Amino acid sequence: MTTIIVQPSGTEIHVEPGDTVLSGLQKAGYAYTVGCRRGGCGICKIDVLDGEFSYCRPVAETVITDEERADGTCLSCRAVPGDDLTIQMRDASLRLVNPLLGQLNEKARKRAKAPSTPPEEQ
Amino acid sequence: MGIMRMGYAHVRVTDMTEAKNHYASTLGLYETLEDTSPEGNKRVFYKGWDEWDHHSVVLEEGGVGVVKYGWKVEHEADIDAIEKKAQTFGLTVERMSSGENPEVGDGIRFTTTSDHVFEVYHSQTSIGTEVGTHNPDPFPRHLVGVGVPALDHSLITCEDPKLMEKLLMEVFGFYATERVQTSLDADHDLVGTWLTSNNQIHQLAVIGGPQGKLHHFAFRLDDWSQVGHAADIFTMDDVSVDVTPTRHGITRGQTTYFFDPSGNRNEVFAGGYLAYPDRPTNVWTVDQLGQGIFYHARELNERFTTVLT
Repeated sequence: MTTIIVQPSGTEIHVEPGDTVLSGLQKAGYAYTVGCRRGGCGICKIDVLDGEFSYCRPVAETVITDEERADGTCLSCRAVPGDDLTIQMRDASLRLVNPLLGQLNEKARKRAKAPSTPPEEQ
Repeated sequence: MGIMRMGYAHVRVTDMTEAKNHYASTLGLYETLEDTSPEGNKRVFYKGWDEWDHHSVVLEEGGVGVVKYGWKVEHEADIDAIEKKAQTFGLTVERMSSGENPEVGDGIRFTTTSDHVFEVYHSQTSIGTEVGTHNPDPFPRHLVGVGVPALDHSLITCEDPKLMEKLLMEVFGFYATERVQTSLDADHDLVGTWLTSNNQIHQLAVIGGPQGKLHHFAFRLDDWSQVGHAADIFTMDDVSVDVTPTRHGITRGQTTYFFDPSGNRNEVFAGGYLAYPDRPTNVWTVDQLGQGIFYHARELNERFTTVLT
């Protein structure tokens, strides 16, 4: 299980393995300003404050510079979390546009976080 | 007549396998050549079913955005004439030899005031259209995906659209069919301009923005139903759609915008009125820009002027 924590609000969002940051947030009912969603325009950049991620596809050097690759800049449409991520939005704030998906995600997050109960012995 | 049409758009892609799937399987272009550029990058060349020349789209692996545009002239002598006009305009022009681009003849190359590379040529190996020229059918029976027939036009950005418009008029002999201005007064600023050399409503459009960037390049379709069909295919193929079918106020064209797998914006474009050099230029004021770009929604989406490659 991976959790994305959005600062400064501290909102916690559950993300399925293999989902990009963008697809994970969108599946949870959230939206923010994005562009091509294919790694070419750089509009969906966010800052990663803590945690690791990797890019699932090649990303052009003109989109992510060497400096950005080291300073926590994250191209969210192509980045896949390696573990829990703490992120911060840039110009565009994260907004919940689909409360139903938000509620479902919250339940999934709580289920994934709950300690597993060992089966009762017969 | 000088420039006949935009002969080719040469763009960069980050992943050639994904790009080939998009341009060949979803758009239905025909691959005519695969090679390696002198710099060692993989390249793939494509043509549409209704194009007779060897290629109209070139993909080059390694990044995003436009590498260059090719412009085909009617007569060999047009190359010399355009070279002189470009030099008079103040541009540095170099000669391009046959074979520098596969299957393309001699020509000239220069960088525009917008920082885009233009090549002007007269000959390219003719392959022929899919339906031929003898008693041709209206379309091939076994089109793939959208089955786009041809490259149509492109939109680029630059810091000084007025200067770029001047270049296209003085060097290429283009005329403006539509403009977006800050006002109708004589001292207006030019926000965007749509230009052509023939009856095609636009071959190249220029809007204000960063230098050397690609907004989109477009493929021609016939009508609304084909634009809608294309949009259906894009969803089936998980193409990132930017704008679902709508009409432009500017040019009256019917359109859908979408992104290739590298994030380069594409368009399928149909309709628009016939252009003539003596037709008065349509002028849009910036307060009506939303209606000019997206006629039905009447407002710009947040991506239209910010997403560039």
